[in-house]
Amino acid sequence: MIQRLLPFLTLVTLFVALSIASPYFLTYTNLSSVVRQTAVINIMALGMTLIIIAGGIDLSVGAVLAFSGLLGTMAMEAGWSIPVGVLVGLLCGLFWGLTNGLLITQLKINPFIVTLGTLGIARGVTLIISNGLPVHRIPKEFSFLGEGNLLGVPFVLWVLVFCAALTHVILEHTRMGRYAFAIGSNPEAAYYTGIPVGFHTTAVYAYSGLLCGLAGMIEASRLMTGQPTAGQGYELQVIAAVVIGGGSLRGGEGSVIGTLVGAFIMGLLANGSDLLGISPYLQQAIIGGVIILAVAVDELRKRKLG
Amino acid sequence: MLLELRGIRKRFGGIVALRNGSLTVLPGEVHALVGENGAGKSTLAKIVAGMISPDGGEVIWRGQLVRFERPADAAAQGIAMVHQESLLAPHLSVAENIFLGREPRLPLGWVQRQRLYEAARRLIEEHRFPLQPEWRVERLNPAGRQLVEICRAIQHGSSLLIFDEPTSALSEAETQEVFRIVRRLREQGMGVLYITHRLEELRAIGDRITVLRDGETVYSGLLAEITTDEIIRHMVGREVTTIYRRTPQTPGDELLRVEGLTRKPVLHSISFSLRAGEIVGLAGLVGAGRTELCRALFGVDRVDSGRVWLQGREVRIRHPRDALRLGLALIPEDRQRSGLAVRLPLAWNLTLASLPQVSRLGFLLADRERRLCEEYIQRLRIRAESPRQLAGRLSGGTQQKVVIAKWLLARARVFLFDEPTRGIDVGAKAEVFQLMDELAREGAALLMVSSELPELVQVADRILVMRQGRLTAELPHGASQEEVMRYATVDTQPALRDAATENAEGDGK
Repeated sequence: MIQRLLPFLTLVTLFVALSIASPYFLTYTNLSSVVRQTAVINIMALGMTLIIIAGGIDLSVGAVLAFSGLLGTMAMEAGWSIPVGVLVGLLCGLFWGLTNGLLITQLKINPFIVTLGTLGIARGVTLIISNGLPVHRIPKEFSFLGEGNLLGVPFVLWVLVFCAALTHVILEHTRMGRYAFAIGSNPEAAYYTGIPVGFHTTAVYAYSGLLCGLAGMIEASRLMTGQPTAGQGYELQVIAAVVIGGGSLRGGEGSVIGTLVGAFIMGLLANGSDLLGISPYLQQAIIGGVIILAVAVDELRKRKLG
Repeated sequence: MLLELRGIRKRFGGIVALRNGSLTVLPGEVHALVGENGAGKSTLAKIVAGMISPDGGEVIWRGQLVRFERPADAAAQGIAMVHQESLLAPHLSVAENIFLGREPRLPLGWVQRQRLYEAARRLIEEHRFPLQPEWRVERLNPAGRQLVEICRAIQHGSSLLIFDEPTSALSEAETQEVFRIVRRLREQGMGVLYITHRLEELRAIGDRITVLRDGETVYSGLLAEITTDEIIRHMVGREVTTIYRRTPQTPGDELLRVEGLTRKPVLHSISFSLRAGEIVGLAGLVGAGRTELCRALFGVDRVDSGRVWLQGREVRIRHPRDALRLGLALIPEDRQRSGLAVRLPLAWNLTLASLPQVSRLGFLLADRERRLCEEYIQRLRIRAESPRQLAGRLSGGTQQKVVIAKWLLARARVFLFDEPTRGIDVGAKAEVFQLMDELAREGAALLMVSSELPELVQVADRILVMRQGRLTAELPHGASQEEVMRYATVDTQPALRDAATENAEGDGK
């Protein structure tokens, strides 16, 4: 039990340690900036949690984020309203999620390969459409999504809480979530039980795509740019958040709470390093080490039980 | 004497594979080794080939007591094995496969291709095999691959060759080809140990025979001096301990009807029916097509032709989803692999096939699910610490009950049990049978595939027998094990016709 709580304890320890180590840590400005910085990774990690539980992987999330952010801001640039622009972003994410899901289930190609391919395609198409140039002419009010406050806390925190609650309910209280666990735990048994494996696998990728679209709009709002090169390398941070939070790449294991904790551990590590003046190069190495450590601890726990 | 085995013993965990395996092989003879599924034939062969070491007994090779620790030890003594499943590298050529791991080499591991192909050509020509050294193995048919395996086995003057069911994947013509080669090897003075369960082909090739039953040699002698019926009697003479006593009842409506089900090359025109309240056994040897029949009925494998009726309605089952919807259940042979999600809680496994019942608009109704789980855990006497316990931590018998319960919850009425008692201890077996009996009493129809003849004979109301993808007999309750084994092992064309007419008459009533 202690080991299951380990990610959470790590987060608390990190929080306390940083509060002591730096006078700037426990301030409203700093904490709300941590929340804003991690929200994008966090929201994508929620979708990835579902995918990893269902035994899959999605490497295309960063590229899909850029694609969605670009098309969403282009819609606004073309004169559409902000809600329509956001909707365009969400639909772009949904489109790529569906594409991933259908390629994986209909052509029966390994998800790693499919999403490696769509990573390239989505990124390439984004660069072609934008000609490599960012979109700047966006209505000022759009910045509210990423930078605004509601009832004294960052608006993105509300968005994150809503998405987390929704994902938690899907995972723990719907058929789709239960089937995701079953498919990830033993796809053959799931098939032999008469579960529509293809449909539910596609649904999981589609949901994750939708969240990537949302993350893309938040990223665009924070930068106030439709940046075709946004989100590079995000896939690794997103997967790391899920894995640190107890998700297993063998499928069938993971939770929303775990993923949130995992994403915030990474967020605090980055923020703490900044505050304490640790070089960003070393930061990367630290996060890499934490990933391996988290999985190693998890494996040891399972071996002891098994 | 080439090889002598005396009182070989071997156990795997709690299961005794061999208790007293003995046989002798002379140079220049083909010695047939026969027995039921699980009698210990393959284990004995693997011990001779050095793939497993025995727990006890003596292996005497050319008059010397030997102990092989690894296959290389046996190979060094001139013992080679041709495997049941091909262990070839499909992308390499025939020659490369023959000499895999023993390539003629220069220093630094440089392979001399020229010499390799010449040596392969000499070997192939010497035995007049229909092969070319350059051919890629993946393009060969099963018989061709078998020949490559044989080449590999004999390439450096082996004096004992072991075949483990070499013809099970071969056509008639291919079988004859393999026989021709085996005879040639015999003429050259090689000893051949030949494992098979096709009794009628023995006479074409064997000189002497050894029968194993329950890990024990029960007969050894000249093949000419024993009739096929006697061989069968030796094979099945296992002691029947009462596992479960069942009183069959009058069957009700026909729930499943199958006509002409064909999936080439594993199933040929299978027709039968199951009635409510019946437990019908399905006997046959490994490779007879029993599992394939279950998979085809359940929609896992495509069928070429044939019609299926469930509860009087003609149906097409293309996916397990269709089967689930129509009330057809499959309890698969390999529980851990295809029956259970072992890393998920017991309760989740129970309701996995019936989530629509415990959800509304896609949302799970936790209370209803918990009540249903508790009800079935009690009803089926599933022993677990809690419904949250991971399915993989349950005992084999309990796991099997969970799989059965899953289909009960899904309101299945026709159950296909594939080896329901495999890997389950005796006490749990009786419980599984009791559960099956209760299902039958409640009006379900059950098909039970089993390799355990004593169990089939006791539990089944009637027994269907399969052999090489065909139904060869339908035997009533009370049929003897010998009878079942005869239809499972021997080509019985006339009997097949009898059985077919009996079926037709039965249906007419």
